[in-house]
Amino acid sequence: MTVLPAAGRAAPTSPDERWLARRRWARAGWLYAFMLLMSLFFLGPFLMGVLSSFKDNPNEYPPRLLIPQLSARYIGAAYNLGVQGGGGGWRGGLHPGRTVTFDVQVRSPAGTPPAPPTVSLFPYQPVSLVSITRFAQARDFAQVSLTPAGTRGEVRSYRVTVRYPALTRQTGRVLSAQIGAPGDRLTATLPDGRTVPLTLDTPEAQAVQYTLAQYQPVELVERGGTYFLRGPIFERTPLQVDIQRGQTLAGGTLPPSDQQNFGRSLAYRNITPGVLGYTFNNYRRAFNETTNPATGRSLFFTWMTNTFLYAFLRVAAAVVLCSLAGYALARLNFPGKTLIFLGFVLFAQMVPSQVNLISNYVLLKDLGLLNLWGLWLNGLVAAGGVFLMKQFFEGIPRELEESAAIDGAGPFTTFWRVMLPQAGPALVALAITQFQGAWNDFFWPLILLRENTNFTLTVGLSNFRELYGGQGDYGLILAGAVLSAIPVILVFVIFQRYFVSTGADSAVKG
Amino acid sequence: MFRRGQETATAYLFLLPFLVTSAVFFFYAFGRAVYYSFTDFNLFNTPQFIGPQPYAQVLADPSFRRALANSLVFAVVTTTLQTVFALLMAVALNNRIRGMAFFRSAWYMPSITSSVVITLIFLWLFQRRGVANYLIAQLQAYGPLLLTFLTGLVLAQVLQVWLERRAGRPAGWFDPALAVVSALGAGAVTAALAFLGVVGVREVLPFDYQYFADKWVTVGGVQVLSIPLLVVIIQNTFTTVPTLMLFFLAGLQNIPGALYEAADIDGATPWQKLVHVTVPNLRPVTFYVITVGLIGTMQMFDQVAVIGSAAPRDTLITLAYYVYANTFRAGAAPVNMAAAGAIILALIILAMVFVQRRFFPSEVRP
Repeated sequence: MTVLPAAGRAAPTSPDERWLARRRWARAGWLYAFMLLMSLFFLGPFLMGVLSSFKDNPNEYPPRLLIPQLSARYIGAAYNLGVQGGGGGWRGGLHPGRTVTFDVQVRSPAGTPPAPPTVSLFPYQPVSLVSITRFAQARDFAQVSLTPAGTRGEVRSYRVTVRYPALTRQTGRVLSAQIGAPGDRLTATLPDGRTVPLTLDTPEAQAVQYTLAQYQPVELVERGGTYFLRGPIFERTPLQVDIQRGQTLAGGTLPPSDQQNFGRSLAYRNITPGVLGYTFNNYRRAFNETTNPATGRSLFFTWMTNTFLYAFLRVAAAVVLCSLAGYALARLNFPGKTLIFLGFVLFAQMVPSQVNLISNYVLLKDLGLLNLWGLWLNGLVAAGGVFLMKQFFEGIPRELEESAAIDGAGPFTTFWRVMLPQAGPALVALAITQFQGAWNDFFWPLILLRENTNFTLTVGLSNFRELYGGQGDYGLILAGAVLSAIPVILVFVIFQRYFVSTGADSAVKG
Repeated sequence: MFRRGQETATAYLFLLPFLVTSAVFFFYAFGRAVYYSFTDFNLFNTPQFIGPQPYAQVLADPSFRRALANSLVFAVVTTTLQTVFALLMAVALNNRIRGMAFFRSAWYMPSITSSVVITLIFLWLFQRRGVANYLIAQLQAYGPLLLTFLTGLVLAQVLQVWLERRAGRPAGWFDPALAVVSALGAGAVTAALAFLGVVGVREVLPFDYQYFADKWVTVGGVQVLSIPLLVVIIQNTFTTVPTLMLFFLAGLQNIPGALYEAADIDGATPWQKLVHVTVPNLRPVTFYVITVGLIGTMQMFDQVAVIGSAAPRDTLITLAYYVYANTFRAGAAPVNMAAAGAIILALIILAMVFVQRRFFPSEVRP
């Protein structure tokens, strides 16, 4: 039933033939239209989720498809502001001794109060419930001022200047560090891991020394082996602009992140974002706002490495142990073979895992293995994987082994030297199904991993839902979801043809 | 081929890791679950045998009954929907066309990503002011235009087919070439009417519907299906239809073309061909899809756990979640009841497998 007319056929001549050809082309057109519609339907939720993960507010109504975070103009502006803030165009941030200018245009029709807007910096404290780290606020260190910058018709332009004076007048080598553990003296940990005492040479610096928490990023000046505190580094510079009654916002260097009070209270969550802080803000938040205060390490990053480790371990175990077991069941003759196949392979696949939940949890808890290793042990040899490898080895011609046997090879040599090299495609299929299974596994990790530093991504994400979903902060949740889907999608795109051949396992998700 | 003793020893050596882990984490666990389900175990005490009392407790537990009802409703509705939609889509797409690889990958996307990710995205889509409700509001707003277009399409098609038939050509009601002309005509008429201001976009209020709330579809006063569960059903159907459709497509390619040719000669309509040729020939695939679907959906857990407190407990609780929740309840957990619930779930699933093996024995796994 080929739809497209075969190429090279003689051009239709009679009216009837032309009529048929026209029908065929039309049919192909409808079919493609339908397929595209279906693709849009099946990819739509993902694409919408990915797009919205870039938004300041993914819950905006009506949802937009064209967003400033993906427009060249605003990405350029964000880059530029990041450079001004001293953190660079990508990372952004506000460093000591820097001045940032930000433009706001206000439409002020005749008859409305011509007063300029009021501007201020406001604190940003992440609403993270995973962990609470108090970071210094730009508001307490930088000054903000407003100057008129011309009028064109009804539109008045204003220039907001944020000036962040350094806390020391010393000059020398400038370097970034983190505030060290609390003690008698304020210390800082340098990027090379050394901890050095800080010298506070101005009253301003001495005034803030007790407000800086551990892990606070700071900038230092090094001169002759002495380290002077130049000031904390701020990831964000949140600016609030309040315009007068009757006036409306006409434009600005960046669009506001949030508008309240009938569009007169404008919040810019970060006027020194850099590209990372602007377009990928939610992604950065997923990493930064899950920082564990006890260790200073990002929980999200830990979950990601845990998931990679777990997936790798599962794949490694499956490739070795499932192929051994599958080979034995397919080719070796021994008493109890049928019983093992029926009981250990088939029956074990039918019984729902909830039955084993209680015993396995209690057992691993008693062994002190409520962690990744226990999780790995619990699903060490997948019955489904054994089944797959048994099917595969049964399909390989016997002649190969027989000739090996004639040469005097034992069962192990035969398996290792003759059979395993044949099993490439099956092993790849096994590896990717196991990878996908481990990466997406939710039930067992949820039960066996009780510490948030042990979580895998799926469990961590469901924790995100509990912590941020209630407040409707979906930016972080969507960014986390997208990040956690990327590796599986990559594996799928690369190894597509193997997926299709073993699709039976993923056909139905409970 | 090999010496007998050596072969047995090697086989058991190869199987050792598999046998040991299965014995510990499956058979021992299974046995313990059965044992616990006849005791008063609560994670902290020493289990005492109390007979089948936990089963009586479980069956009397309103939460368990709700979980059982939810699981059965979910399994039956989801399996039906996904099978029917997958079959229809496969029939519609049973053509060898260029670029199939692209569409195949696009459709696989929902089924390879984790259920956690998809559940989170659906939770977000189905918020009160979410994308799903926005689309419904848009549909309401553009309703008049859409209706005009569809009416025009049908009228134009009927007119054209009538003209063709008068001219002596055997045009069918769904003739694709004529449909293109009809669609273009209907589009032009709609645009013209919209330009003249006869029809237009309606002003509508945002469609504010709270999906994840204590809302139920009732039949005769009995709460049958909750709205949150309906959203999960939609989500599950969405994720599985593409994969199942590819199964059916594989099955369709195996139906001999001669059967359709014979049906054509007998003058069968497309519908008759679907019912009398396609569906009977797809029987093996269909039964496989249905059993695997029922078994998978009976164990639904991830969605309930991820949605968690976002929806009222009773609207979503399933058997698998009941077992989990009772095991991890704070304080002395009724683990014996959890075990009894798990055994009941296992029995239901084993019964399903048994029915499949017993009554459709010629079944081959694709």
